[in-house]
Formats: sequence, structure tokens, C-alpha cells
Amino acid sequence: MKIFKNLYDYRELLKTSVKKEIRGKYKNSFLGVLWSFLNPLLQILVYAIVFPLILKNNEKNYVIFLCCGLIPWTFFSTAMTRAAFTMIENGNIIKKVYFPREILPISIVTSEAINFLISTLIIIAFVLVYGVGITRFMLYYPIIFIVQYILILGISFIVSSITVYVRDLQHLISVALQLLFYATPIVYNANTIPENFKWVLNLNPMTYVINAYRDIFYNQVAPDVKALLIVALVMIVICVIGYIIFNKLQKGFAEEL
Amino acid sequence: MQENSKDTIIVEDVYKTFNVYMDKANTIKEKLMFFKRNKKEKRQVLKGINLQIKQGEAVALIGVNGSGKSTLLKLMTKIIYPNKGKIITNGKLTSLLELGAGFHPDFSGRENIYFNASIFGLTKKEIDERLDNIIEFSELGSYIDNPVRTYSSGMYMRLAFSVAINVNADILLIDEILSVGDQHFQEKCFNKMKELKEQGKTMVFVTHSMESVKNLCDRAVWLYEGKIRMDGNTEEVVNEYIKVTT
Repeated sequence: MKIFKNLYDYRELLKTSVKKEIRGKYKNSFLGVLWSFLNPLLQILVYAIVFPLILKNNEKNYVIFLCCGLIPWTFFSTAMTRAAFTMIENGNIIKKVYFPREILPISIVTSEAINFLISTLIIIAFVLVYGVGITRFMLYYPIIFIVQYILILGISFIVSSITVYVRDLQHLISVALQLLFYATPIVYNANTIPENFKWVLNLNPMTYVINAYRDIFYNQVAPDVKALLIVALVMIVICVIGYIIFNKLQKGFAEEL
Repeated sequence: MQENSKDTIIVEDVYKTFNVYMDKANTIKEKLMFFKRNKKEKRQVLKGINLQIKQGEAVALIGVNGSGKSTLLKLMTKIIYPNKGKIITNGKLTSLLELGAGFHPDFSGRENIYFNASIFGLTKKEIDERLDNIIEFSELGSYIDNPVRTYSSGMYMRLAFSVAINVNADILLIDEILSVGDQHFQEKCFNKMKELKEQGKTMVFVTHSMESVKNLCDRAVWLYEGKIRMDGNTEEVVNEYIKVTT
């Protein structure tokens, strides 16, 4: 429970570092924060052109289908990559001042979450452009978002603290993310996967998150709340374990960095 | 010393060992390939320190280089943790181990005040209240809105010190930085610290300047090879220390 008191006491630090993360990311670029909008948009365009050509998929409105997978995935993968670097990046402060170290991964995940919220506008824009329309199922959005946030936070705790001791993890993560990209139904539909590979998708928590987003925006049905709740429960457990690991490892940060 | 004041810092039988790697392997590959070379040497820096510091005391840690003074201070701030023993601190704590840790060179002095003070755990409202005091104390004037990278090292230190001293912490830990700025600013810092002491703040200094120790502290702790060699009245400890080391 100490974490909540810490976060409350240091809320100003959390706020300024989230702001710094968002602003610092596109500092010195001509278009500034607009990039957090343009980046995913351009990425979607690239995929939307390439994948229909090589994959013979029959998804109608493929762009919306793609958005629902790619945008949550970007949230996941950028948060992971940056969480792996954050301790090393901030080594200087860690060695000299005390502050609750968990602020660092939390502000990374939160700033990426804000980026994600902005990018959601892209999904909504495409939904409107393609004339699919807004439905009441989109009210499930906050629930799915919270589940995803907890998921990413839990893994970030683990990743950010272990990289301090094992620097290889930084590089492993980028490879693992590439592999995971194809093991998540982002560019394809989960149902088109051969039966004997299904278990890979079923073990991947991001599958449930992306399927849920797809249900509310693309299929326009209620998401599988039961599956989502199970993922949420598992993720809360992982988040707690992650925090315990983090707390153990953070005691040695100043000496290892 | 005040009557019936309680302990604000309690150091209980603290041991600290550092692993000193001859050639540190950071990656798995290096760890596997050169695991023979991966010899580490344990260096015991603190060997059973016991110390109680009461509220309102100003304590100086003195000793030759490598005696463990800075390590003890870092342990008190919770930047590092002891291998054995316990350290308890009561109250809000600010440390000045290195001036301007966490300053962002591209941001203005004013923005850095916010950032630096928030690292010390202040809220926006609290910083707003102190902002004028901090700027005034730093004597930076209109430079406060320039990016910190354009500051001279003296200005940099003045800003950092002004933030730290205005945080209003109950405990102040200061490592060898009494040499801030010019004569005039040094005196000002000195007076400010005396003022804080009178307000009942607890302070711990690490310093080699015996002059400032005598001026500011009422108690001195002499560390020698990771143990407390002498603890008591400043005058006595400092005189003994000077006698032995020179």
C-alpha cells in the first residue's frame, strides 16, 4: 500500500515527468505533438496498402480492422521499449536523489496511454468516414483501456527493473516484440489461424484486448466481458508481482547504474 | 540541545558492502564468456555504525577520504540500502548530494525549479508559494527565464542550492557543497542554514572544512575506516581529528 501514499506525495513529480515524456518525445521536431497523431496514421496507411496485397483477406473495411489492432499494439510496444530504457536514461538522477523509483515506469506508461487516447480519435475518424457509425458498445472503451493499462504497467515494472541488471534485455525486447507482433491478431483475423496454433494467441493477453477493441469498433457488438475480466484479474496479479519484483530490485539501482 | 526531543535519524548497526568489479560484465554474453574474469571484490565500507541524531541537531560527519561519510549519507537518503542493520528517518528529508541533480538543460530556470522541487516531493501549490523566495534567494533576477544551459556554473549552483534550502524539509543532508558560489553567497547560505537550525531542523553535513564545522555544528562524528572513532562535542572531536591527521 506504500505505493499509493508515495504516488500521492509525489504527484507533482509524476505530473511533470508525464508532461516531460510527452513533450520531450517530439521536442525539436517541426510538427511537435502532432506527430503522436501522424505517426500511427502513417503507419496504418503503410500497413493498409501492403497487407491486403500479400494476405488474401476478406475483411471488409480493412482499415478499421487494422486500426483496432495496430493502435493498441503501438501503445503496448512503445511502452515496453521505453520502459526498458528508462532507468538507464535516468541513471544520473537515481544515483543522486531519492524519489519513489516507480514514478519512472508509471510515467512512461501513462504518457504512452495519453498518446493512445489521442490516437483513438483515428479509429473513430475512420469509423465515421466508412459510415459504420457510432454505437453504444463503444461505452465499453474505458473498461478495455483500463485492462490494457494494468497489463502494460505490470510488465513495465518487471522489464524496467530487470534491464538494470541484465542489459541484454533491451535488445531482446525489440526482437521479442517483433515476434509477438505476428503472434497477436493485428493484421489478420484470429479465426483464420490454423487450429493447432490457436493456443499461441490464446496465451497472449493482447489478443483479448485487441479482440475487445475490435468488437466495439469494428464488429459493433458487446465485447467478451468474461474473457476481459479474466485477463484483468491475471494482470492485476502480474502487476502486484511485478511491483514486488521492482521493489526488491530497486534497492540496488543506484549501485548498478 | 533541546529538552525531550525525539530521535529523527536512527542508524542501527549498519553494515554496507560494495561489490567492486575488476571488469564489470553487463551482458549475459560477457557473464558467460568471462565468468572467471568476473571476479568481484567485496569492499566493506561501513562496519557496524550506530548513531542517533535528535531533532534540531546539526551534526558534521568528518574523516579522511574513503572513511564512509558519503556512503552513510546516501544510506540516510535511501538512495542505497544497507546490507545489514536498519536506518529510520522521521520527517521529510532533503538531500544535497550533488547540486542540480535532475536539472534539464533545455528548460528555463523557472521550469527547473518546478521539476527539481517536485523531485523533493513538493506539490504544485507548495512550489508556487515558495517560488518567489527561491528566485530571490538565488539572485538570478531576469536570468530565471533563460534555459539552464546558458548559466554559469556559479548560477547553476545558486539555483540548485536555493531550491533545496527552501523545500522546508525537516531533515537536511548536505554533502560537501558549502563551497557554493562566491564569498557573498556562501555567507548567505551559512546564515540561512543557521536560521533553519534555529527553526528546529535537523542537519547532517559531510565536509572537510573544519572552519564551517565549528561554526555551524554542535556535534561532530568522526568516521575512520567504516567505524565511528569519536562522537561528541564539535570542538573536542575536531581538535582531536586535526591532531591525529596532521
